[in-house]
Amino acid sequence: MDWLQFYFNFRIVGNYADVFIAGIGQTLWISVLCLILSLIFGTMVALARMSKNPLIWRPIAGYIQFIRSTPLLIQIYLVYYGLPTVLPIGNLLDETQTGILALTIHTSPYFGEIIRAGITSVNRGQIEGALSVGMTQRQTLFNVTLPQALANVMPPLLGQTAVLIKDTSLLSIIAVFELMGAGLQMFSETVIATESYVTTAVCYLLIYAMMLVISGMLQDKLGGKAWQSN
Amino acid sequence: MDSIIDKIDIVRSLWPFLLKGLWMTFQISILAILFGSIIGFCLGVAKTLGHYIPTKLINGYLHLLRGSPYLVQLYIIFFVLPSMGIPWLQFDGYTAAVVSLSLYTSSYVTEIVASAIFAVPSGQSEAARSVGMTRFQTYKNVVVPQAVKLTIPPMASVYVIVIKSTAVLSVIGIAELTRQGEVAIMRMPGDIMFIYCLIALFYFFYCYPVLRFSKWAEGKFGSVGDVEH
Repeated sequence: MDWLQFYFNFRIVGNYADVFIAGIGQTLWISVLCLILSLIFGTMVALARMSKNPLIWRPIAGYIQFIRSTPLLIQIYLVYYGLPTVLPIGNLLDETQTGILALTIHTSPYFGEIIRAGITSVNRGQIEGALSVGMTQRQTLFNVTLPQALANVMPPLLGQTAVLIKDTSLLSIIAVFELMGAGLQMFSETVIATESYVTTAVCYLLIYAMMLVISGMLQDKLGGKAWQSN
Repeated sequence: MDSIIDKIDIVRSLWPFLLKGLWMTFQISILAILFGSIIGFCLGVAKTLGHYIPTKLINGYLHLLRGSPYLVQLYIIFFVLPSMGIPWLQFDGYTAAVVSLSLYTSSYVTEIVASAIFAVPSGQSEAARSVGMTRFQTYKNVVVPQAVKLTIPPMASVYVIVIKSTAVLSVIGIAELTRQGEVAIMRMPGDIMFIYCLIALFYFFYCYPVLRFSKWAEGKFGSVGDVEH
């Protein structure tokens, strides 16, 4: 194993194990929070985008196009550096909160477009049936349309969630501590690139592998007959 | 009124730098999409040949590139590879940017090419084989030409992803659009929001036509599934 020590020094990585574990935890909770917020706002974006009123859907369509054609880094900079200079209250949010806000703003339209595709994929008869048995519009939406829509688009939603987890790495640029931040901290303290960055990559791959397992389980569960739309 | 004239002055003084940055972004994104497409095309075709070990290796390569953020890949190629002590891996910033972005692009292209080839009806290749074409001829004359048409819409989405990923290159000091904007803000710290909005507009006018093209091409050529992000 001596030749390996030349390329990769496990002892130093061991010294930083707690930093990396803290980083993984931080990445995970930021991702989960952003995921929940993006699901909520994404559903709202999808519903607003499907509205018949041009005063509602046109601005939302513009927002979606703007987010889709500008880099996430610029959006983070806009929220982190730009927003405090425009708002009269100034620095209201700290780095982590800003990061979560920026990521939510970035991810909601992507989720929204996926959820919209899901809603349009729900059989028209389902909605008509629900309305005809006396459900209100609201009940139909929450009890009939949305559950089927989400089940139908589970694979792209999971893919987008994996992208969201990877996107949290960009928050390290605005000094949020997470997995990439842990790698940068180790690099700045020890100045050994290989161990710092390769360990970071391995941690991200571990999270990715976990995501693959979870998505496999979810697909098994949702692939059942009860969730199919016809 | 004064503030509008102010802003116009800012735009006029920053214009040459931002254009330079845009040119750098354009250059790197074109190179990355070119090399990425070549690598991705070869790997995608290799994946459809159905040999066990190459397919597994390619899948591993895809998981590696898809499972880690681009930022980490960039750091590994920019910082880790030069420290291995191999002379031809001593990248400068520009080469590291192009290499990492090409590899990143290739992971998308591989999947697109493979699924496009799978989407060509199997009757096509069976017919080609039964009239006596070799396997290579079947691929070259029948399957690939039909598959290439299907790859056009998702490739346009990938091009947008590549353009957006070039913004990350600012962290290793490549003077592309985002980096030029950061430098501009150091010169004019009072107009952060305005300058970043300006840069966002630059990206918007570069990416939006490509996105529209992708949508148009999807209606014209059909699609083999959406590219995530």
